[in-house]
Amino acid sequence: MVYAVFAPLIFAIIIPFLSRLKHKIHTGWLILPVPLLIFVYFLQFVGSDFKTSIATVDWIPSLNISIDFYLDGLSLLFALLISGIGALVVLYSIYYLDKEEQIGHFYTYLFIFMSSMLGVVLSDNVFVLYTFWEFTSLSSFLLIGYWHYRERSRYGALKSMLITVFGGFSLLGGLILLTIETGTTSIRGMVEQADVIVNSPYFLLILVFLLLGAFTKSAQFPFHIWLPDAMEAPTPVSAYLHSATMVKAGIYLMARFSPIFSEVPIFFILLSLFGLITLAWASYMAVRQTDLKGILAFSTISQLGMIMAMLGFGTSYAVFAAVFHILNHATFKGSLFMIAGIVDHETGSRDIRKLGGLMTFMPMSATLALFGTFSMAGVPLPFLNGFYSKEMFFESSLGLGGYSGSFVEGLVTAIPIIAVVGSIFTFIYSMYLFFGTFRGKYKENELPKEPHEAPFMMLVPPMILVIGVIVIGLFPNFFNQALITHSADAVYGADVTKDIKFWHGWNSRAFQMSLIVVGVGLLLYLTKKKWDSIYNYFPGRLNLNRVYDWIVEKIESASNKITTFYMTGSLRLYITLIVGTIILITAGTILFTNGSDFEISDVSSISAAEVIISIIMAVAAIGASIAKNRIAAILILGVVGYGLSLLFVLYSAPDLALTQLIVETVTVVLFLLCFYHLPNLTKDTSSIVYKGSNIVVSIAYGLLMMVIGMTAYNSRFAETISTYFTDNAYKLGGGDNVVNVILVDFRGIDTLFEIAVLFGAALAVFGLIKLRQDKGAK
Amino acid sequence: MNNLAILPIILPLLASVIVAFIPKKLNIVRKLSQIFTVVFLIIVGYIFWKVFANGPITLQGGGWDAPFGITFIADYLSILLVLTTYIIATAAVFYAPYSLSDKQEMFYFYTFFFLLISGISGAFLTGDLFNLFVFFEVLLMASYGLIVLGNGKVQLRESLKYVLINVFSSMLFVTTVAFIYSLVGTLNMAHIAERVEAVPAEQQGILTAVGILLFFVFAVKAAIFPLYYWLPNSYVVPNPVVSALFGALLTKVGIYSIFRVYTLIFVQDTGITHQLFIWLAMLTMIFGVIGALSTNNVKLIITYNIIPAIGFILMGIGLYSEEGLAGSTYYLIHDMIIKAALFLLIGALVVAAGTKDLSKMSGVIQRFPLLGWLFFIGSLVLAGIPPFSGFIGKLLLLQGSLGQGEVLLTIIALLSSLLILLSMMRIFVRGFWGEKMEGMTTNPRKVHALTIPAVFLIALSIFLGVCAEYVLPYVETISNYLLDRTEYISSVLKG
Amino acid sequence: MEIIMIILASILFATAVYNLLQKQFLRIIIGTALLSHGAHLFILTMGKLKRGAPPVLDEGVANYADPLPQALILTSIVISFGVTSLLLVLAYRAYKLNKTDNMEELRGAENE
Repeated sequence: MVYAVFAPLIFAIIIPFLSRLKHKIHTGWLILPVPLLIFVYFLQFVGSDFKTSIATVDWIPSLNISIDFYLDGLSLLFALLISGIGALVVLYSIYYLDKEEQIGHFYTYLFIFMSSMLGVVLSDNVFVLYTFWEFTSLSSFLLIGYWHYRERSRYGALKSMLITVFGGFSLLGGLILLTIETGTTSIRGMVEQADVIVNSPYFLLILVFLLLGAFTKSAQFPFHIWLPDAMEAPTPVSAYLHSATMVKAGIYLMARFSPIFSEVPIFFILLSLFGLITLAWASYMAVRQTDLKGILAFSTISQLGMIMAMLGFGTSYAVFAAVFHILNHATFKGSLFMIAGIVDHETGSRDIRKLGGLMTFMPMSATLALFGTFSMAGVPLPFLNGFYSKEMFFESSLGLGGYSGSFVEGLVTAIPIIAVVGSIFTFIYSMYLFFGTFRGKYKENELPKEPHEAPFMMLVPPMILVIGVIVIGLFPNFFNQALITHSADAVYGADVTKDIKFWHGWNSRAFQMSLIVVGVGLLLYLTKKKWDSIYNYFPGRLNLNRVYDWIVEKIESASNKITTFYMTGSLRLYITLIVGTIILITAGTILFTNGSDFEISDVSSISAAEVIISIIMAVAAIGASIAKNRIAAILILGVVGYGLSLLFVLYSAPDLALTQLIVETVTVVLFLLCFYHLPNLTKDTSSIVYKGSNIVVSIAYGLLMMVIGMTAYNSRFAETISTYFTDNAYKLGGGDNVVNVILVDFRGIDTLFEIAVLFGAALAVFGLIKLRQDKGAK
Repeated sequence: MNNLAILPIILPLLASVIVAFIPKKLNIVRKLSQIFTVVFLIIVGYIFWKVFANGPITLQGGGWDAPFGITFIADYLSILLVLTTYIIATAAVFYAPYSLSDKQEMFYFYTFFFLLISGISGAFLTGDLFNLFVFFEVLLMASYGLIVLGNGKVQLRESLKYVLINVFSSMLFVTTVAFIYSLVGTLNMAHIAERVEAVPAEQQGILTAVGILLFFVFAVKAAIFPLYYWLPNSYVVPNPVVSALFGALLTKVGIYSIFRVYTLIFVQDTGITHQLFIWLAMLTMIFGVIGALSTNNVKLIITYNIIPAIGFILMGIGLYSEEGLAGSTYYLIHDMIIKAALFLLIGALVVAAGTKDLSKMSGVIQRFPLLGWLFFIGSLVLAGIPPFSGFIGKLLLLQGSLGQGEVLLTIIALLSSLLILLSMMRIFVRGFWGEKMEGMTTNPRKVHALTIPAVFLIALSIFLGVCAEYVLPYVETISNYLLDRTEYISSVLKG
Repeated sequence: MEIIMIILASILFATAVYNLLQKQFLRIIIGTALLSHGAHLFILTMGKLKRGAPPVLDEGVANYADPLPQALILTSIVISFGVTSLLLVLAYRAYKLNKTDNMEELRGAENE
């Protein structure tokens, strides 16, 4: 099983080399066996005696991350869809994509996706699942952006990535919380501890995190907006990722976790509510689309909403129907996408307003589309699988109960109504899709190409899917026992045994609902021209895409505004902010911890000389700050330095005094040298506020240092280590001058690197003076 | 054997002096520098292995026992960072000849380069607070030398601000050291820790205040909100190889010092200090990504991305738990490597496209696919997408923060990851994708030469993620070691 | 006496920051010089003042001034000197190239 999951990934690495042969043989042929073999591999598990199996590879045991592939009914259903439709899509793409394109890239992305998606549905370890989850988003990003020279492709790719990765990060948050609460990283382990999770204080947060992950991935309202733009991808991709597999990852996630949540009312409310809103809204919007793939995209969204809602209902019947519909949707929607691609390929247009009357040119395609659309519409015919699951959906929407509260009761009443309304629009766009494309008047002048039927091999993949539609329709219980029941069991957490029947009798409420859908749908479809101006009023200019665009645009422009607001490049502002922060937070800490102490004891005597020197230095420091002449300012600064060396003399630091004297002299000379060439000091003409704020900041900083200095001086918690130096300087260091011994011996490394600093400074100065490449160059 | 602890500092210092003597013989200097760096890397690798096999190596400088001399301690954390530093240095030294002009190389690039490595290694390895200041000055002086290299108008302008802000924080550093000396009468960090611990709780106030002051010294260097204003412009103006060294190493020295000081010395009042870190970490992430989204200058985007990463690392220190510290350590190593890689790649991109302005770029991937895909993977690594290195660190950090009920912190961390990804994907989608632009470089070989060193770093990032199992035991050792200070203190004071 | 020294050092810090906030290069660099003077004075004060003879060992002297802060100051003075020289030359070159010594006119723009 591990090989089955990673085989496509390994091939993804080889594909760039295989694609060098593309002029001899289309790369697609070379790699077609891979998904086919995987499909066959998973097929052997199918059967009424299905047993779960597990395969384990250690990855990061320290973090409890191991690759545990756990195959149960639900995983098996998805694995078959992924590999089966994957194989068909590869076959289809051989005819769809021209050899001249970078097909190597295409298949690499596609195979990365295939591995990731298999990984998602098979991983029992949440972090492995998450890894694969993000990789499906990324490969989807690359596939949507396959024709990246098109502006719309880039837009769609980035949009899908942002929304799905947003969901991915949210999912990560939820998964981490789950592992913390349950102490395990295994989904099965979590399901066993469902009560721990449900009673956790973070329960709601976990749920919201997971729902955001699932809703973004499965394009639920209001996150569905990325899916229509994802249609910029090549059609095989749309058929594969954006209808049959990747978008169902969110559904998978909810199905996987539903044994934990299914008893919780809020789960029912959120999932049913968002699912139904998605169903109704997207099917309503689908009718308005003019691009074939646009119609299919909205249709996919609405079907996903329907499945999501059924998972929310949570009854064994609804779960069964949901799983069944996952399969059915994959068959009819996959085939319809492929037909749309064929139409596009053979006529050069996907705009339904330009199409029409293609039945005569493309009879095969039309026939296939007929089955697909009618199955999607849920037309009550015994050989269309879509009808079965549609009717089961109606059935499951009825009589939900067991929850109290007026909101829930209202919701329970509204569910069947919304279900019917959504299905009516589904019926309308299905009819519109078929009749608008294949019947009606042929508009010769509107099409860029002379339409003709596609090559036979290109028709094979949709044909296989349509055969699937019919076979499932005719023998639903065969699939039921071999596959669907096992899946539904895994989701529901207990045995779900259902018999699928076509005919429930005239009195069946679900059948009556189906009849209403067909009747009203037909009526509305025929009168579509009369009422479709309603879209001008609702949604009219309301558009969630605008919200997305607005957010993305705002993020950039607001970031720019905020950043340029404080990143002005003004040193004064920077220093003000830095000093201000230090003052505020440190002073706050002192107040908060009572960390100040001014009762200074243990001070030495005061002598007149020191006081006079101190006053002179203080005055000089202020003087240097306000002097109006550069020479004067530099010299007054020198006074401060010389004053300091006098203090050093007074405080028994003769070496310091000497050094300070020399350094000060050299510095003053350097100052004079450099600033002789610079303009003289000017009068500070800035405003009072400006000056005032400078003064406030400086004084506050001085005060802060004073408070800390006083307190630090006063709070001696331990004796200094210095006595060691005076005791041992001669004995061990061999010198009389303790400071010198410290510098060259005890702390000799300080001195070594102090010289390194001077060395660096000298070279930097040399470079500054000598290297003037800019002169004339720029 | 103890002398091993100082080799990563002394060797590059010697190398820096040697290459300073023959600045004009470029071919020799280049080869020599490359050989030196690789040899040093091997030596450091050996020391790394030694430390993890036998425990921290302590060197009492000049043979004077702690706390009287200067102690160097190659412990798990410091040697790991030194090793990472040398790895990045190796990539940089092979990149430099293609990125710098001959003149820039002649004006002592390699000398400053080795001096920088020496200063950084010293800052990681020293066990003495004042000595840490000295090494800060060494690395800053080297960085001053590197940032003014080239002597352009804009460069000098930003260098001036950079130097001034650093002078301010250096002086604050010295003053804070004076305060600490007054309080506990010693400079050796292990000794300070021991003495601070002995102070009764009701008198801790001033220690906490001085601790906060010291935090700000490091926070200015580490570029933590709201003290990073100096960073973006001064990292953008120099040559890409210099930016890579700065972005990968300089801020990390600051965050390492916070790591060290706030796991070793000031752990008495975590309710104030570490809680403050958590708040600052959130703000750092937010404002960092906001910065990264604010511009079309590709190099500036990468530069701004330094800031949220620092926020992530600070977050783990603030959590001060096993997971938090392990996560921060992982993230720190990851970020050093990937930042270096991205700066090098952006340097190559700017050469390839002939502009830094994203709005003027498009379709670069069509001519330079390797560059494009490396950048793409690099972006994923940076955003913490599994299975790359950023994910492991992020996972540990988020586990730590959710485990302590820091929901807001977690949400901000997740959202900033998303926005980091957006900021990077803007470059990929607008710059690399699209119609092939006009005016791409006429010298594709140069671009290739600039791309190669990054391959090595990106591969390492992938390794750190996919093969995390080999790395995690080290990181866990480090985090337990940091939480239990006794091993550090005893290996310094009784070593 | 220590109190006066602490106050003096704080005044030096305050004037230093005031100068750092000015526009002209000269004033800003004067600020950095004052800053280092203040810091050095702080180090000295924190080691207690006037507690003995200069730390040059001599017969019959029992008390010496604390030598460690003095050693630190010496190191710091030399480093500051190196940095200040670089700063001066840098300021001079920056003035020559940018044709202004007003820091506020050196803000810069994007995409340079």
